[in-house]
Amino acid sequence: MPAKSRFTRLDAFTKTVEDARVRTTSGGIVTLSSLLLILWLVWGEWAEYRRIVVHPELVVDKGRGEKMEIHMNVTFPRVPCELLTLDVMDVSGEVQTGVMHGVSKVRLRPEGEGGGVIESKALDLHNDDPATHLDPSYCGECYGAPAPSNAIKPGCCNTCAEVRDAYASVSWSFGRGENVEQCSREHYSEHLDEQRREGCRIEGGIRVNKVVGNFHFAPGKSFSNGNMHVHDLENYFAGGGADVQHSFSHVIHHLRFGPQLPEAVAKKAGEKGGMAWSNHHLNPLDGTEQKTDEKAFNFMYFVKVVSTAYLPLGWEKKSQKNALESILPHELVELGGYGVGEAGSIETHQYSVTSHKRSLAGGDDSGEGHKERLHARGGIPGVFFSYDISPMKVINREARSKSFSGFLVGCCAIIGGTLTVAAAIDRALYEGHQRVKKLHQG
Amino acid sequence: MNGFADHGLDESAFGESKAISAVKAFDAFPKTKPSYQQRTSTGGVWTLSLITLSILLSITELQRWWVGTTSHTFSVEKGISHDLQINLDIVVAMQCSDLHINVQDAAGDRILAGSALNKHPTKWEHWGDKRSHQLARDRGEQYEEEDVHDYLGAARRKKKFTKTPRVRGDPNACRVFGSLEGNKVQGDFHITARGHGYMEFGQHLDHNSFNFSHQINELSFGPFYPSLLNPLDNTRATTPNHFYKYQYYLSVVPTIYTTDARALDTANPSISPSSSDAANDNSALSWGSNTVFTNQYAVTEQSHTVPESQVPGIFVKFDIEPILLTISEEWQGALGLLVRVVNVLSGVFVAGGWCFQISEWAREYWGRRGRRDGALGVLSGRRASMDKT
Repeated sequence: MPAKSRFTRLDAFTKTVEDARVRTTSGGIVTLSSLLLILWLVWGEWAEYRRIVVHPELVVDKGRGEKMEIHMNVTFPRVPCELLTLDVMDVSGEVQTGVMHGVSKVRLRPEGEGGGVIESKALDLHNDDPATHLDPSYCGECYGAPAPSNAIKPGCCNTCAEVRDAYASVSWSFGRGENVEQCSREHYSEHLDEQRREGCRIEGGIRVNKVVGNFHFAPGKSFSNGNMHVHDLENYFAGGGADVQHSFSHVIHHLRFGPQLPEAVAKKAGEKGGMAWSNHHLNPLDGTEQKTDEKAFNFMYFVKVVSTAYLPLGWEKKSQKNALESILPHELVELGGYGVGEAGSIETHQYSVTSHKRSLAGGDDSGEGHKERLHARGGIPGVFFSYDISPMKVINREARSKSFSGFLVGCCAIIGGTLTVAAAIDRALYEGHQRVKKLHQG
Repeated sequence: MNGFADHGLDESAFGESKAISAVKAFDAFPKTKPSYQQRTSTGGVWTLSLITLSILLSITELQRWWVGTTSHTFSVEKGISHDLQINLDIVVAMQCSDLHINVQDAAGDRILAGSALNKHPTKWEHWGDKRSHQLARDRGEQYEEEDVHDYLGAARRKKKFTKTPRVRGDPNACRVFGSLEGNKVQGDFHITARGHGYMEFGQHLDHNSFNFSHQINELSFGPFYPSLLNPLDNTRATTPNHFYKYQYYLSVVPTIYTTDARALDTANPSISPSSSDAANDNSALSWGSNTVFTNQYAVTEQSHTVPESQVPGIFVKFDIEPILLTISEEWQGALGLLVRVVNVLSGVFVAGGWCFQISEWAREYWGRRGRRDGALGVLSGRRASMDKT
């Protein structure tokens, strides 16, 4: 024994001298099994420490003047591209200005022929491409309608599209363009008839102001006039012969607001929410198919958009760069890139949706057993999405479930607890054994 | 091995096999032969109190485990929804034939609620019972913690509207009750007088018979659970004016109460469960009895007299929130409980052991000082015994 220091008296870990120690088999077994138990529990603690959990937070969306991207991919098997228009409007019914878009119309073969792609053409929102091959002094007639303000040559209607614009501005129906010189030159009606049986797919994205609004797919040239939004429906209703029946049956392959979450991220984000997630659940409309045989049929989707941010681990460190990115005017950010931060943070949107459909002829829901429900009459055939912005914002923040010190504390608790209980068990076994021995001897 | 059996576990009696001795070498728990151990009465007292303490702590731990934890989570509602059921039970102090009930929604649909709901003539005086209260009177209620089991229990109870009491004499009021299905979009539910507000009826009603005093017994959205209390249930509003307009603004929040959060994971999330009793019966299998889907709502009210040019009546405007609340009660696993109980027990014993040790030192210290006062310079033999134990 070393010389007794002053601290010897304070030794709380009194030890039994080696001679007085008793080693037993049961003790050995208890020690070994408790060691195994400790290893297992510590490993569990380690796994817990390494695990990344996602904490959802609900805050009020404090962003100002934000933009929102709408990415869509919708197929209309029975409406040709020539007839289909896409309009984006804000809450007051005005066509949205300053919309950045990259939408293309894809002509599809008729349904019966498998619906393959014929040709893809970028769609110019609210503005048709001008004709170029004309004599510079030529001034086309507008056939009684005032020339459109965006005509290439003021006061003239040099192209078929301009005549259609002019007609739409005074809410005249244009029809197939027979007897209109510009249109017969451009073979408008032939093009139309040729395409009658085709389908159309609209794919791409638009960037809009983050305000309440709607976008819709409807037939014919549209024109907004004050509070009125008019579509030239004549061609759609006229149809193209007995065998061609237009209808707004559609398949939504994809519809999302904002960038897509990586699949792995989406899975992780759902773990804690009580419900499993995947990208499909973030975008409930993906893969929706609606059919109708009626021409005058209207589909409506009422969408409520909730901003969602996803902040991965280590996001804070690079937040400086993020701040820089957010100053960047949105025009410089490519379509599809808006909302994707550099450190992997993603600003996107989830939505909930209610679908509704009705025939333009009105009628009731007696087919579904609700004859008291009367549908509105009239309107425009088409597919309408009206979206509403929720004031709440969901932030999914990645975090370690435990800090390192928490992990250490957990380990100590495991080791201490297990050993103490094991010691008690061992002690009990030993004492019991002694008793039994005494009984046998006595 | 016979010898081993005869002697039981008496290890000193014979030479052991190698394996056993190897295991024995691992025994890390120092035990001392009883002859070297000292038992004190103070130690006994300490042991007993420690046992009581650890039992108490274990019981509280067990209780906490038994109650479970209630967690509130939220998510954006998934799936495509269509319908929203509205359950209504309202008594208006007017004749049934004079009432006109309609729902107009953002999808452009109009629901002739009058034909979907039951109208029973009744006496206004029947309905003024004491349980009726004004809106937003008891503030304290909303701060009580919700017990999921209360909701589950209430949801299992009968799903019928109460019977209208028998009318003696002339009925002077109308009870309108029943469920109807609307679109799950923003909407406006209104009760107006015949010939006012809707042109098509044409018949004009005498202004003196207007009385939009009403009592709402039930107003809820989604599947009908009469036992779940909503903010507008059993509220009463009376007015002596004929031209009076009541407006209620409701924000409907879809809510799931569950004791089985894992079942929600497996349930098909592309089905939005809000709609109706009928649809819910179909999907009952997938949701199980541990889950209730309902809709809560927040409400504000305003009422005022209107000039004769406007339409008097009861107007309920509702809007649906996109965020779904999930209130789930969860239990930790039994293993977790075991680990915690073990931790509690060992913690109590280790800490108790230390306290005992410290108290012993203190006793010894004070005792020595006391003895030093009495008998000078006598060293006690206790130090030696302390070293041994």
